[in-house]
Amino acid sequence: MFKFFSPSNIYSIIQKIIKFINSIFFLILIIGLTFALILSPPDYIQGDSVRIMYVHVPSAWIGLACFSVITILSILNFIFKIKNFYFINKSLAPIGLLFTCLAIVTGSLWGQPTWGTWWAWDARLTSMLVLMIFYILYILVFKIIKDEYLIVKISSIVAIVGSINLPIIKYSVEWWSTLHQPASIKITGPNTIHPSMLLPLMIMLLVFLLYAALIFLMKYKTEIIRIKKKNIKR
Amino acid sequence: MMTEFILMNGYGLYVWMSFSIVFISCAVVYFKTKKTLKKYESEFFAELQALSLEDRNKTLKTSKVAQQILATNSKIN
Repeated sequence: MFKFFSPSNIYSIIQKIIKFINSIFFLILIIGLTFALILSPPDYIQGDSVRIMYVHVPSAWIGLACFSVITILSILNFIFKIKNFYFINKSLAPIGLLFTCLAIVTGSLWGQPTWGTWWAWDARLTSMLVLMIFYILYILVFKIIKDEYLIVKISSIVAIVGSINLPIIKYSVEWWSTLHQPASIKITGPNTIHPSMLLPLMIMLLVFLLYAALIFLMKYKTEIIRIKKKNIKR
Repeated sequence: MMTEFILMNGYGLYVWMSFSIVFISCAVVYFKTKKTLKKYESEFFAELQALSLEDRNKTLKTSKVAQQILATNSKIN
């Protein structure tokens, strides 16, 4: 099964997926923006500032999801030594960092009109900042270290240690008294968000996921070419 | 009505700044990633062209990636 997912086999599929995403992306983006900025109602307490949620929440979710995937693949790579996971992680990390930074910045812009402050050292905000630091460390390992074996080893350690922070981010709003509101969308249990806000949020999440997939595929394709380029003269 | 939409009851600055930062950052990352990909593709293509005919055919026979890059770049050029 792992052979099927080898870079050579995947390469031909990547171009088709990139073309497909490019063809539908702008349509979904326009629909998402129309819902987020025009059709969705203002919140009865937060007013129109709630619209920041449509870029803040998907960014935070993708930032967390990328690090979760990186951790799982790092553990698998550590055990099974599948080189492909190394390239997937290398391509995923900058996307995760981008979205984590965006979640922090948009959160700050949402915090000012809602809480009256740009930043507070509260559990959720601080744990997101810690996640950003782990992303930077993870990327730095690839930039600084040249030996591939060492990169796999150290980056896996960074990812595994950093993953301890993931449940802290998730449950920080329940474990501590924070400025940040508790989760409105739960996988188990009823949602406390109105459908008129949930729909735009889901469309914007789809837009962000498509964008993340597009960047990931382009970065992964670059990595494949980089390896083939190395081997061309052998 | 347009002014109301832009001002968003006083929250316009925060909302528009959030959306702008997100889309500008995403656009910058997209174009940077695309540029790097194109650079590697053309470098790979140039190295493939620099090989002797025999070596090139050998590489093309064994590498699906080389076949596709050659096909794409041949179309462009």
